[in-house]
Amino acid sequence: MLSRVAERVYWMARYLERAEKTARLINVHTALLMDLPGRMEINWFTLIRLFNAEKVFSEHYQSGNEANIMQFLIADTNNSSSLATSLANVRENVRTSLDVLPEEIWEQANQIHLLMTNSLPRISDRYSRQIFLREVMKHCQCIRGALDSNMSRDHSFDFMQIGKHLERTDMTSRILEMTSLLLSEDRSDTLRKYDGILWTNLLQALGGRQMYLQHVHSRVEGASVMRFLMNDNVFPGSVSYSLAAMSRRMRYLPDPEMAMTMAYRVLEHTKREDVGAIPAEKVHTLMDYLQSELGVLHTEIAKTWFYPDSNGQHQSQG
Amino acid sequence: MKKEWNQYDPGSLYDELIAAVHQPREASYKLVEYLRHLTPDRFRQCVQESEVVIREMGITFTVYSDAGNIDRAWPFDIIPRIIHAAEWDRTEIGLKQRIRALNMFIQDIYNGGQILKDGVMPADVVLQSKGYRKACIGMTPPHGVWANICGSDLVRHSDGVLYVLEDNLRVPSGVAYMLENRNITKRVLPEIFNTLPIRPVSNYPAQLYEMLASLRPDLDDPTIALMTPGVYNSAYFEHAFLAQQAGLVLLEGADLVVGNDNYVYMKTIKGLERVDVIYRRIDDDFIDPEVFREDSMLGVPGIMRAWKEGKVAIANAPGCGVADDKVIYAYVPDMIRYYLGEEPSLPNVPTYVCRRDEDRAYVLEHLAELVVKPANESGGYGMLVGPHSTPEKVEEFRKLIQEDPNNYIAQPTLSLSVTPTSCETADKGHIKIAPRHVDLRPFILSGKDIFVTPGGLTRVALVEGSLIVNSSQGGGSKDTWIVGDVMEGEEV
Repeated sequence: MLSRVAERVYWMARYLERAEKTARLINVHTALLMDLPGRMEINWFTLIRLFNAEKVFSEHYQSGNEANIMQFLIADTNNSSSLATSLANVRENVRTSLDVLPEEIWEQANQIHLLMTNSLPRISDRYSRQIFLREVMKHCQCIRGALDSNMSRDHSFDFMQIGKHLERTDMTSRILEMTSLLLSEDRSDTLRKYDGILWTNLLQALGGRQMYLQHVHSRVEGASVMRFLMNDNVFPGSVSYSLAAMSRRMRYLPDPEMAMTMAYRVLEHTKREDVGAIPAEKVHTLMDYLQSELGVLHTEIAKTWFYPDSNGQHQSQG
Repeated sequence: MKKEWNQYDPGSLYDELIAAVHQPREASYKLVEYLRHLTPDRFRQCVQESEVVIREMGITFTVYSDAGNIDRAWPFDIIPRIIHAAEWDRTEIGLKQRIRALNMFIQDIYNGGQILKDGVMPADVVLQSKGYRKACIGMTPPHGVWANICGSDLVRHSDGVLYVLEDNLRVPSGVAYMLENRNITKRVLPEIFNTLPIRPVSNYPAQLYEMLASLRPDLDDPTIALMTPGVYNSAYFEHAFLAQQAGLVLLEGADLVVGNDNYVYMKTIKGLERVDVIYRRIDDDFIDPEVFREDSMLGVPGIMRAWKEGKVAIANAPGCGVADDKVIYAYVPDMIRYYLGEEPSLPNVPTYVCRRDEDRAYVLEHLAELVVKPANESGGYGMLVGPHSTPEKVEEFRKLIQEDPNNYIAQPTLSLSVTPTSCETADKGHIKIAPRHVDLRPFILSGKDIFVTPGGLTRVALVEGSLIVNSSQGGGSKDTWIVGDVMEGEEV
């Protein structure tokens, strides 16, 4: 397959994953705040920090209230991680890879784009917003379902899987980074009372609450949740699972050695650390490490397959 | 919609569906009956449904001037245009005859130019044509065919006759919209398809593939690619759609490289892989900076070398645009007689060639009634439409013709046929059925065999009285049905 097309389907999958996770996260966070008393350490601005978007946000908005933050995360095209940006990028990458994708994907990409356009005026209203975000998740899953059922397991599919898993690992690491706050010793006593709720919501944000209950145990507590999301071998949202799946996919591609070795190195590192036992500030450090390693891994992927003759010195989309 | 149809009156114009007030033509009778019996609400629902389908299917075209808005929804009218199968069969024969002669002509002029030596047409008409490429002299593409994909524009005059208005041989576009128009109509008016024998168009992508594959008869399974100028090109949707539907690799010039062995390679994740056939949707001028425009970033350096050595087939062949010239058009009937020894079965629009003294004298005398066209412009640019023009404009063209008569032709102003089209009235939401002018672009594939699409793309001028059918200038399109007779007892 063409290198350029490989790059486009890879990014298509990344943006699709990012869009779905962003929608889910916003919905779960909204539900969480409804359970918590006002004026807690956890508030709307937490979402901005999660995306490392404090700077961009403050450039465009005066106050960190719910309306502004929702506008920024959902609709704002100045925000490269907003739902609108991600979905526009999904559509553009589909538009330019029509020759390798199952044909109904284009129709689905348009449907989600129209949903977005028609719903934006109503996102400040919590009720409509939740319906909209659920629709977005459903559409994203539809696209993934059509890809899973109708696409040959060819290289286009491999690149999509790699993109999806890489983005998923990145999103999970960002969400886990927030747990530094939950684990830290100096948080308020009031917040401590809500521990169970917080961890449950964290699991929900990654679509793993029920699998956690089934496969780990019925009591939701911090250390176990952290271990589950980092190192569980069968939950497809865990960091280890994604990294392993990514390396397995690379094996089908030509000359995968460098990229695979790198992915395994990150995997080994995350397995060595018992994330449930480490102090809060080290969780933060571990996630920072993970994110920067994912960046290096992306560069290696680009260098190997997208720009084999130019040492990866190209603009990336992300 | 009984009222709307009862009031419908094409006046003195030739109408594609309605012979006279209350009188549908034979092939359109069932469709008109069906539409007459829809309630206005149901009809409106169909129109809205078609708009939703177009947006969801992402049927768009790109308009350069639309900053930030890359693609625009395709303007579509749900009332199909119908041509009787018997008439179409005759038209198809004429189109095949025409493309055979055109291809023999191109082959001839790059290989000795016997037609010029025999004085059938003046040599400088050919040698001065913008589409003439010296680089192609001596070449014979597979099957001797240069124009593998041709989109000829047909118009019907008030005399009821279909005339060929021009032959688009360079990179004709629109076929994707022909296919999508049928898909939309199937979704919006599904019931009607059971009652009429409508010839299917969906086979085009397969036929395109077959034709392209036939350009490398030496290979069992050639690698075939469609080369697009890129995602900002106005026809990008069509390029991607055709690649998807026909199973071609969609690529840009930057994805290709010509090796030291003069083969063409594409840059893949496995390294370089050979490409055997290229359906290029990019003009000659930009295809090879080594041979044509040096400043072009769209093409591939060396691709002409590869083509000349037969290491890659290119459709349409470079240089085929020489026959896509309005002066040369005037000589097509002569070409048919010269090469095939047959009388043309499809007429040209009567054409005055300004380089001929007699023709020029007539043209200068009748400028205000005529349409004047320069040889090499397309898309309606640089034209004079006498009856709709100003005296200043007419004088300007008089000068242009006198200074450079070889570059101009003139034709009588045609009265294009009309067809019932749904139009929103100022009265909010009310839909009226009104006559609007149409043309038709069938597509002709020539490789080992010749294939003509049943029908083609009907373009419609959506503004009352307007003759402008180009989508970039506010035109729309319709599904086009070739409808045969239903034999008694035959199931459709």
